[in-house]
Amino acid sequence: MSTRPFVSSLLAVALAFMASALLIALSGKNPLLAYGALLQGSLGSWDRIAVALNKATPYLLTGVGVALCFRARVINIGGEGQIALGGLAATWIALRFPQAPAVVLPALALGAGALAGALWAGLAAAIRLRQGVHEVLLTLLLNFVGVLIVSEALQGDLGEPGAGFPQSALLARAAWLPHPLPKTDLHVGIFLATATVVVAHVVLWRTPFGFSLRVLGASARAAAYVGISPARTFLSVMLLAGGLAGVSGAVEILGVHYRLIEGFSTGFGFNAVAIALLAALNPLAVLPAGLFFGFLETGALAMQRAVGVPSPLVAVIQGLTMVFVLSAMGLTAGRERV
Amino acid sequence: MVDAFVEFLAAAVRIATPLLLAALGGILSERAGIFAVGLEGMMLTGAFAGVVATHGSGFVLAGLVASLAGGMMLAGVVAIATTRFRADQMVTGLAVNILALGLTSFLLRGFGAASGAPIIRVATLPPLPVPWLADLPLVGPVLFRQPALTYLAIVMTAMTFVFLMRTRSGLTLRAVGENPAAVFAVGGDPSRVRVIAVIVCGAMAGLAGAVLSLQQVGTFTDGMTHGRGYLALAAIIVGRWMPGGALVGCLVFGAADALQLRVQTIRLPVSSYVIQMLPYIVSLAVLAGLGRTARMPAAIGLPFVRDPR
Repeated sequence: MSTRPFVSSLLAVALAFMASALLIALSGKNPLLAYGALLQGSLGSWDRIAVALNKATPYLLTGVGVALCFRARVINIGGEGQIALGGLAATWIALRFPQAPAVVLPALALGAGALAGALWAGLAAAIRLRQGVHEVLLTLLLNFVGVLIVSEALQGDLGEPGAGFPQSALLARAAWLPHPLPKTDLHVGIFLATATVVVAHVVLWRTPFGFSLRVLGASARAAAYVGISPARTFLSVMLLAGGLAGVSGAVEILGVHYRLIEGFSTGFGFNAVAIALLAALNPLAVLPAGLFFGFLETGALAMQRAVGVPSPLVAVIQGLTMVFVLSAMGLTAGRERV
Repeated sequence: MVDAFVEFLAAAVRIATPLLLAALGGILSERAGIFAVGLEGMMLTGAFAGVVATHGSGFVLAGLVASLAGGMMLAGVVAIATTRFRADQMVTGLAVNILALGLTSFLLRGFGAASGAPIIRVATLPPLPVPWLADLPLVGPVLFRQPALTYLAIVMTAMTFVFLMRTRSGLTLRAVGENPAAVFAVGGDPSRVRVIAVIVCGAMAGLAGAVLSLQQVGTFTDGMTHGRGYLALAAIIVGRWMPGGALVGCLVFGAADALQLRVQTIRLPVSSYVIQMLPYIVSLAVLAGLGRTARMPAAIGLPFVRDPR
């Protein structure tokens, strides 16, 4: 592993912040004050940190899966749909078995989320393998169908009657993820996510499966030549990434909202792609990249309140970072080691 | 009953208009080998620039020019990143979509009120009945009592077809999307063709945004394109990368949307969400059905490298 991708990621972030500072200055505000408020709003207290960690959790889980996919040149951008359906499945289980004991129920719901996400990714993978259609179009289109399935479910049996908003009933307390730190909103998801990051790192660099991912990414022909089945590797990594995305949808429901809400995961899947890229497709680096996004978004509203710089600026920073990282990656493509 | 049906068809055409303009631009971009995922963002910038310029200057024409420019600016980012820096096209598209969403929402607030988003109202483009044709039964109210940009979109469909399939430049553009190295070998400049195609795509998508903000709604709201750029992308697939096909695709999607809005009144047995899924499911079916024979431009998604290492 060379350090070069990380240097370019840091540069990209710095450039994005500088360009956005210009934008803030043009709107007549002080960029330094704005960034100070952003920092204060995301790291200023234990409470804020807890919120930011919760925010980063689904990004980390989904981002790791995307990174593994992209490593193998499997361009899975179906996170949006996979996450939404993961949340739906978890909600369904939690509402269906409210009497289940406290430890079993969240585990069951997380499992259901994983299954739903994996199935949705598996659908794209199956069409790709049978019909040879590029997965990028399939996963993109399936996102919209997945999100609409959630809306449809909330319209139907799962919806809370008379809520006035498309949402499910509140889940039984037994289904909620534990909160290890009293007085903050932090749920155990972040530990799960961190563990997943570490496991993914080991899988990618220390196991035959990880090796096959890396070889497939370098050259499909080379993979076939050394006896790695491109189809099987493709299917496995899609199922894995879909499962992780499904879990992050479930975690968001069981840890933050305690009910299914329409649009609860809007933008998560696309952000996860951004994070995987920012991490230069290295699972371990997904941790800082995902936390960065989580803290950025947590501080956004505080910045808006404190200095009057509108919170959508954060999306500008994210978008610019992505464009810069992609450009840097494109330039150095083909020069890195497998 | 007949009246309601005519009104339904007219609505389908109205709703199809922005999709069509964006899809036509997307066809140019994708035929030149660059995925047009950024359509959503280009539409959004166009919609925003159109409203701001119309409001600021008092002239709709200025707004339309600003829409073109707005879409082209964002397209410029895509063009440079994907050709000069060989960035991944799909993900660059996603990136500029995030960027456009953030930028338009920021600018709407940054230069307006300190708290909350200001509402900028502009007059919508009125319907322009075509003399004589507008009085035809059925066809008249459906096709010839539409606002100006709808006529423009229909004319552009024919123009895009003629350009792509009947001119030398169109042939070069398609060749770049199929085999850029061959174009390079005969003295062409594939990267330049791609940059131009993407920027023209941005102009058309910007105009598509203007249809939304200046012709249909009369204001700008955060993320007002609401996935229509992706829908246009689906229409390109359904239309198999041909302008006429995209026209049919957009009309079908427009009809689905018009139907979805009327689910309550006509008491359909399905929910509006199921109807909203249709465009995507149809696209998936077309993609899966095309299968290995899919005539997607062969070099789409691949960066052109002059001297492969």
